[in-house]
Amino acid sequence: MTDLTPLCALGAADPRRSVLGALTLTERPDVALASLALRRGMDAPAPFGLTLPQPGRCVCADGTTALWTGPGQWMIAAEGAADTDFAAAVLAEAPGASVTEQTDGWVCIDIRSTGGGAPITRLLEKLVNLPPEALREGCAARAGLHHLGVFVMRHAEDRLTLLGMRSAAGSLWHALSEAASRLEIETRP
Amino acid sequence: MSRIAGGLVDRSRTFSFTFDGRRLQGHPGDTLASALMANGVRLVARSFKYHRPRGIFSAGSEEPNALVTLRSGARAEPNTRATCIELYDGLEAHSQNRWPSLGFDALAVNDLASPFLAAGFYYKTFMWPAAFWEKLYEPAIRRAAGLGKLGTDPDPDAYDKGFLHCDLLVIGGGAAGLAAALTAGRSGASVILADEDFRLGGRLLMESHALDDAPAADWVARVEAELASMSNVRILRRTTVFGSYDHGVFGAVERVGDHLPRPVTVRQTLWRITARRSILAAGATERHIPFANNDRPGILLGGALRAYVNRWGVTPQARDADRVAIFTDNDDGHRTAADLVARGVPVLAVIDPREDARRQGDYQILGGARVTGTFGRRGLSAIEVARNGRRDVLECAVLGVSGGWNPNLHLASHHRGRPQWSGAHQAFLPPADLPPGMCVAGGAAGQGSTHAALQSGAQAAAQALGCTPAPLPRAEDAPVAQAPLWHVAGRGRAWVDFQNDVTVKDIALAHRENMRSVEHLKRWTTLGMATDQGKTANVTALAVMAELTGTGIAQTGTTVFRPPYTPVALATLGGGDSGMNFRPTRLTPTHAFALAQGASFVEVGQWMRAQMFPRPGETHWRETVDREARAVRAGVGLCDVTTLGKIDVQGADAGEFLNRVYCNGMATLKVGKVRYGLMLREDGFAHDDGTCARLADDRYVVTTTTANAGAVYRQMEFARQCLWPDLDVQLISTTDAWAQIAVAGPQSRALLTRIVDGFDLSNDAFPFMGCAELTVCGGLRARLFRISFSGELAYEIAVPARYGNALMERLMHKGADLGATPYGTEALGVLRIEKGHATGAELNGQTTAQMLGMGRMVSTKKDSIGAVMSRREGLVADTRRLVGLRAVDPAAPIPAGAHLFAADAPRGTATDQGWVTSACWSPHLDSHIALGFLSDGAARMGETIVAANPLEGGEVAVTVTSAHFIDPEGDRLRD
Repeated sequence: MTDLTPLCALGAADPRRSVLGALTLTERPDVALASLALRRGMDAPAPFGLTLPQPGRCVCADGTTALWTGPGQWMIAAEGAADTDFAAAVLAEAPGASVTEQTDGWVCIDIRSTGGGAPITRLLEKLVNLPPEALREGCAARAGLHHLGVFVMRHAEDRLTLLGMRSAAGSLWHALSEAASRLEIETRP
Repeated sequence: MSRIAGGLVDRSRTFSFTFDGRRLQGHPGDTLASALMANGVRLVARSFKYHRPRGIFSAGSEEPNALVTLRSGARAEPNTRATCIELYDGLEAHSQNRWPSLGFDALAVNDLASPFLAAGFYYKTFMWPAAFWEKLYEPAIRRAAGLGKLGTDPDPDAYDKGFLHCDLLVIGGGAAGLAAALTAGRSGASVILADEDFRLGGRLLMESHALDDAPAADWVARVEAELASMSNVRILRRTTVFGSYDHGVFGAVERVGDHLPRPVTVRQTLWRITARRSILAAGATERHIPFANNDRPGILLGGALRAYVNRWGVTPQARDADRVAIFTDNDDGHRTAADLVARGVPVLAVIDPREDARRQGDYQILGGARVTGTFGRRGLSAIEVARNGRRDVLECAVLGVSGGWNPNLHLASHHRGRPQWSGAHQAFLPPADLPPGMCVAGGAAGQGSTHAALQSGAQAAAQALGCTPAPLPRAEDAPVAQAPLWHVAGRGRAWVDFQNDVTVKDIALAHRENMRSVEHLKRWTTLGMATDQGKTANVTALAVMAELTGTGIAQTGTTVFRPPYTPVALATLGGGDSGMNFRPTRLTPTHAFALAQGASFVEVGQWMRAQMFPRPGETHWRETVDREARAVRAGVGLCDVTTLGKIDVQGADAGEFLNRVYCNGMATLKVGKVRYGLMLREDGFAHDDGTCARLADDRYVVTTTTANAGAVYRQMEFARQCLWPDLDVQLISTTDAWAQIAVAGPQSRALLTRIVDGFDLSNDAFPFMGCAELTVCGGLRARLFRISFSGELAYEIAVPARYGNALMERLMHKGADLGATPYGTEALGVLRIEKGHATGAELNGQTTAQMLGMGRMVSTKKDSIGAVMSRREGLVADTRRLVGLRAVDPAAPIPAGAHLFAADAPRGTATDQGWVTSACWSPHLDSHIALGFLSDGAARMGETIVAANPLEGGEVAVTVTSAHFIDPEGDRLRD
């Protein structure tokens, strides 16, 4: 085990968290990521028992998520596995596929709502140019957000996860927290 | 003072506000215009050019006159329309374009000079000398004529943006819009209803007509309540849909906080609305009738006068006894008279050029008459009426003018559809080729009656969505007869466009000077420009021109409309983020380290890279850069190079794929080796360079320059998906995943030896251009590449990004005795120029492999992107080559971008022999040096030429040398 101390994408030793009204934004450095692409002629595997989803969808079971990212290409995410060799684990689940370690390429931000789905829907309309039905429960999309390309996953009505470029984590956090704080003020009794 | 009974203002509460420092009072529901009127304020502005006294002319966003500056200090906002400003407690407004005061404006002297200030005045007068225009004429003109002044302090308020999607967008919340939204809402479709007013209802609020025998406001309230209860309907009040764009996209501004003393969250939100279908129900704008001196305060549109009476319970009278006259060429003007009489306002007469005008109430009609002049210094006191060959002067304080209605079809024309002239309507109607998915209803479609507006709105929604129209209330359906009078001929100046001070005479002058097409007319006279875009002027002006040319209005045509419908603040269009947050910023993994070291940063695309690391006592940037560059060549330097693009390439055909992407061969690259690679564009020019490392049989890592990381990835993805889908290859970017640090200098091996976990770094085990996967610092997975950008023995080490900062600190700590020094992009630049390595300045899209001295790298044994085109005659014949340039006087800087000339040649484009791409002070050569492309460069070593900088003046003599100033044989790399 290395004695080097890692930093979170937002630059601190500990993940950032912010409660803004009904919404809580949490940086998730524990989430491991690996991309999985099918090689020519290969059948789609079922890594960790997940049925790899169709375009615009994500599936999740036991803290592991797969989201469609392109033709024959998915991102696999696993909570609490950032310190493991996750790419090797994915490759073991999908022998013969092209797997690339992506854990450090992204900042993962969870957004949870204590007010049901409405605050998240309202937040999304300030951030991404997608109709609400494209980000219902179980949906995932690649979208432009504050001039950044991000993956947006709606795990549940009250839970959203975003993946953005790690290097632009600060800008992404700025865009999310700014929009969420405005919602907070608008909805304050 | 001029408040009358009734209206939709809440008189139980009072707001206090100021106009030019004078404290006044109004009520919730007032606009600034209605509140000013209620306080007897008639003079509210000065005109653009002649500084004529002006009053409130309309009751909506078409207002040409009543422009004021809202608020003060950093929040000051010029050119807002008093007719659209929702009154709030503490509102502060100021008149503008006057000095020293609104009442006494010294520049009103311009009015006396009006014969000299006619159409085309600027074009004719300020022709020479040309140099005077920018420095003298334009500033002088701008001071004398104009609108409000923009403050120079940063706007302290926040702005926001957002995206909405719907099945149906209804633009306008009047009779047609409400009927459409009700029909659509009940069908279950997702509906957005947007209205620029703060209260839904449109003209329904401004008329006295009943709906189902009850006040129209009652029906509006019921519909509003029902719409508000529907989860599929969203009502956007205070929201102007200002533009119709491609693919059903509309731009809209919601004034979220403009009506509050201080915005709670944001001032305005820019909405981008994507709608499957849209209904334009924006109503109509009344036009006036130009006659001599028709611009005095107290003269306003007849429909606006009616609106002030019915909605706001106010008239522009100074005293209750002041008489009000109406000048109209149509029946609608008589409605105003009838409403005034019903409210007990004294009506002098209705002046109607028609002999057979139909009376609608208890008032006097002067049939066959015209208004031919007016009197009153700062406000109307009397009018001159011509009738039966007589001219009478009649005392009155208010004159309502009604010249018919123009449909607000602007958004229907934003896709370049030409409005169509309708003789029956005496107005332009929406074009036949509407934006896809749009239909037009109500007044915007030329529907004159409330009944027709309601019906057309409901029908439009039913048709758009395939549903049943909602039942509608009974409404007036009276025909409106009209005999258009486009202007009253006479000697005095008759204003057509109030905002730009364009008169009938100006149009006549434009006609005489052959500026007759609508486009020329507009530019020559400035008609229809500025904040109101001629909403009350354009059609009238066309009609006047048509009369002069004798061609008719249909043939004269109209200009098409462009967004925005009403002015939109740049702060709103900017989307809300400013300063450092205007665009996203990317930080390197070692950003915290660099900050702690006091580094200065430079923007490289979106990246913030450490530019240099100044130390205490260093007083000039070059001291720092020289020290950093020397440290690399003498000991070891550390530089974060994470920003270079990294692309993971896998698959059975990965090697073949790369062989086709790079112009040089990659098929022979062995596992554990790195090769320099050059990519060409399809046209044969150089695109990007970098390294390609083979980690396994079927796995490579490609690096790109920082600037082209996205472009190269995109091109490779295009090649994979579209050019060669048969190849088994998969790509993904890993730029951000790995923190990569260049460890460069003769001590680099010694330093790295201290952190690797038992990895053999000896020259034999890990030679130049080797690569390996290994662990460092006790088990951290890493990648090591033995490559060099500086020309020294050097490595690049990559670790997972989260460990980048800690690794940099560890390397600094472990290398303290070896002279480990962080260096920034400036020193990086010096080192690579000394070594003759190309970067963005050399790979600028205009250069070829041959010019870069890498012509032979373009393999002829295989095909690759751009290879064939690189061999075309035009490129092969180019003799310019990358050379080194050394200043003859070592202390003379060589300007980057300077052009190269033979010493004795004239400095001109015909004799231009190339240009300087990069330049620096070389601390190792004690001289200014540069890289550049020079004609016949390869054959001119030792020649003295000139680098000339005609743009800034000056030139410097330089000697042509090899581009490799340092270690041309490359021994240090392989050490």
